[in-house]
Amino acid sequence: MEAPPVTVMPVTGGTINMMEYLLQGSVLDQALESLLHRLRGLCDNMEPETFTDHEQVYLLKGQQGNPFILRARRSLSHPTAPWHLRYLGQPEVGDKSRHALVRNCVDVAASHSLPEFLNEMGFRMDHEFVANGHIFRKGVMKVVVSKLSRILVPGNTETAERLSLSYLVELSVLAPAGQDTVSEDMRSFAEQLKPLVHLEKIDPSKQRH
Amino acid sequence: MSGGPAVRVSIESSCEKQVQEVALDGTETYVPPLSMSQNLAKLAQRIDFSQGSDSEEEGGEGEPRDREWGKQEQEEEEGTVKFQPSLWPWDSVRNNLRSALTEMCVLYDVLSVVKEKKYMALDSVMKDKNPFTICQTPQVFQLISKKKSLATAAQLLLKGAEKLSKSVAENQENRRQRDFNSELLRLRSQWKLRKVGDKILGDLSYRSAGSLFPHHGTFEVIKNTDIDLDKKIPEDYCPLDVQIPSDLEGSAYIKVSIQKQAPDIGDLGTASLFRRLPKPKPGTQTWHVKLEAAQNVLLCKEIFAQLSREAVQIKSQIPHIVVKNQIISQPFPGLQLSISLCHSTGERKNHRASPEKPKPDDHLYVLEHNLHQMMREFHKQQLSSVVMPHPASAPFGHKRLRLAGPLAYDKAEISSLQQNEGLLEKIIKQAKHIFLRSRSIQLQLNIGVEQIRVVHRDGRVITLSHQEQELQDFLLSQMSQHQVHAVQQLAKVMGWHVLSFSNHVGLGPVESIGNASSVTVASPNGEYAISVRNGPESGCKVLVQFPRSQTKDLPKSDAIQEAKWSHLRGPYKAVHWSRMEGRNFVYKMELLMAALTPGP
Repeated sequence: MEAPPVTVMPVTGGTINMMEYLLQGSVLDQALESLLHRLRGLCDNMEPETFTDHEQVYLLKGQQGNPFILRARRSLSHPTAPWHLRYLGQPEVGDKSRHALVRNCVDVAASHSLPEFLNEMGFRMDHEFVANGHIFRKGVMKVVVSKLSRILVPGNTETAERLSLSYLVELSVLAPAGQDTVSEDMRSFAEQLKPLVHLEKIDPSKQRH
Repeated sequence: MSGGPAVRVSIESSCEKQVQEVALDGTETYVPPLSMSQNLAKLAQRIDFSQGSDSEEEGGEGEPRDREWGKQEQEEEEGTVKFQPSLWPWDSVRNNLRSALTEMCVLYDVLSVVKEKKYMALDSVMKDKNPFTICQTPQVFQLISKKKSLATAAQLLLKGAEKLSKSVAENQENRRQRDFNSELLRLRSQWKLRKVGDKILGDLSYRSAGSLFPHHGTFEVIKNTDIDLDKKIPEDYCPLDVQIPSDLEGSAYIKVSIQKQAPDIGDLGTASLFRRLPKPKPGTQTWHVKLEAAQNVLLCKEIFAQLSREAVQIKSQIPHIVVKNQIISQPFPGLQLSISLCHSTGERKNHRASPEKPKPDDHLYVLEHNLHQMMREFHKQQLSSVVMPHPASAPFGHKRLRLAGPLAYDKAEISSLQQNEGLLEKIIKQAKHIFLRSRSIQLQLNIGVEQIRVVHRDGRVITLSHQEQELQDFLLSQMSQHQVHAVQQLAKVMGWHVLSFSNHVGLGPVESIGNASSVTVASPNGEYAISVRNGPESGCKVLVQFPRSQTKDLPKSDAIQEAKWSHLRGPYKAVHWSRMEGRNFVYKMELLMAALTPGP
């Protein structure tokens, strides 16, 4: 019996080739209320949604220089929700006029045995943190205002110590490759938040130490 | 020393009186001595009343206030005379005088308070003979005092209310002089606005309500400056105007209609008949009317876009036709459902549609309303919190669908999760239901737990109990009525005239279940008439009335001279209904009618 033919071409299209458009900024704790108020008015009319997530970052060190990074995230406020595994590629070096950071993004929902699976595959956890805050949406745009906390005892999410006195604000859109109007919409939305928070594209590779 | 002769010593006082003048002849004119009162005054002048031994600080200031007391003028001199020890004998005089003054002042004050009651009033202090009756004023007094105080308070409130109502009336009068900013405030309270540079833009799309239609829906707010201040300001002047996108101008609606016969191919895509717009309520601003119309146009466009997308994508047995602004599908063979977007820009009158008389409106308002409702429901679903991802980094999407991967759903489970019914399918189902309902019988049975509820076509609701006999009786009575109704309809079709019709006749034997109903129809030429009496218990009785010329035994009478009177209908004859030919009641009746209608 022959094995069924296996295609050797990479799978393209569908949800595999999604790009994430990202703008980031931060606000101090004192300014949080006014920012939330503003977002409540600008974004879609829903009940405000809070979240508490625990994210672990796994690295696979190969022979070459750059390790392969995967992010595994679970919700602490909804324990039955599936884990979310995410791969973020390198930011695209397109024209400088593009207003948002664009990078390849692969999102997979996973069951609760994800950490063991990753460990078996050879990934090692690099760091973990707890994020809690608010999430808003406007059409396809997602605004996440989160406070990051460091986990002191590995594995114990109760004892988490705040990393800073500010909140991280992220505006992101998940869209198929090639849609450039998305960054225009993001920019105009960021304009409306201007005096409260400045959202801009921050290249993570430049932050590395 | 010792006695010597007594010497008379005469003492003479020195000159008491002062010499005023000496005349030329040596006479001296003396200053008249001071009288008793003058002497007293002179001595009293030396007393400094302000420097009394018992004087308080206010004593000197309090007294000058009482101007009416005459003696005060003396003390106002502000004597700088120091305390004179030589006036000690007068000290008591001064003190007594001063206390007398104080008492008089107090008395004066009390009297003025009692008399004038301008700033103060007397309030009685009850002698508390009994500690329990300290605050017991008589009831009447309490009532009167409460009444008075309430009256005063009410007066104040009324005054205030009057002022407010006056200012409101003024405001309404000044409506014409509304300025741009107050109009802008009013606009902002109902529509979303934002400032971009020096322009004010607004959003009239449903995107914030959950729509995914890619139309931007932006309108601009402009100041209406083309007003001539010299001329009279027109009635509907508004300092604010809105500029809506050009493709949303005018008004639109979605016409849903069901036709029995398929129209010509050439007629496709020409549905542009228009109905009159509802008049806007008086008092609404022009901008509001404009914006609402534009929003409605946008929603209609979205609905039509969604329907046409589904019509093209969904595979069905009979393909849907999408032509220009019309979608045509066939729910049943021979039945055609057409959904069209009728958009009129309003600038040019519909000159091509008006010449022909509009067809009888077969537009189904119910389905149009349902389309709007379903679209809004779809919007609402987009906004439901089920879509929000937990963890926050996950993409948007239905919560259950995200579980498909981890829980290894198969294709059947996934397809059951997806919304498999689009807008078009739903509307086709509803159209089918409407069509069937219009053709079916008139009853609807709702079988509940305790009772059965019967809903009649004409709105009557009858509740029956659990006894099946009741339902049976009811159905029998309905059947008999239905048969009579059928005769009526048949008469219409066959050209017979309905002479009389009654759902509940009062003649004949009384039915135990319900009432009998009857109908009388006459043939087209008037010669024959059929009377049907149908009761649930007594069954069906059919009588035929013949013209007089066909009866055997005519009663002869001298009054009837001419022959034409013999064409009138005369006696009745019963029909053996059970022996009539025909499968059912309607067939039999049709046969009878046909037999009684003479051929050409």
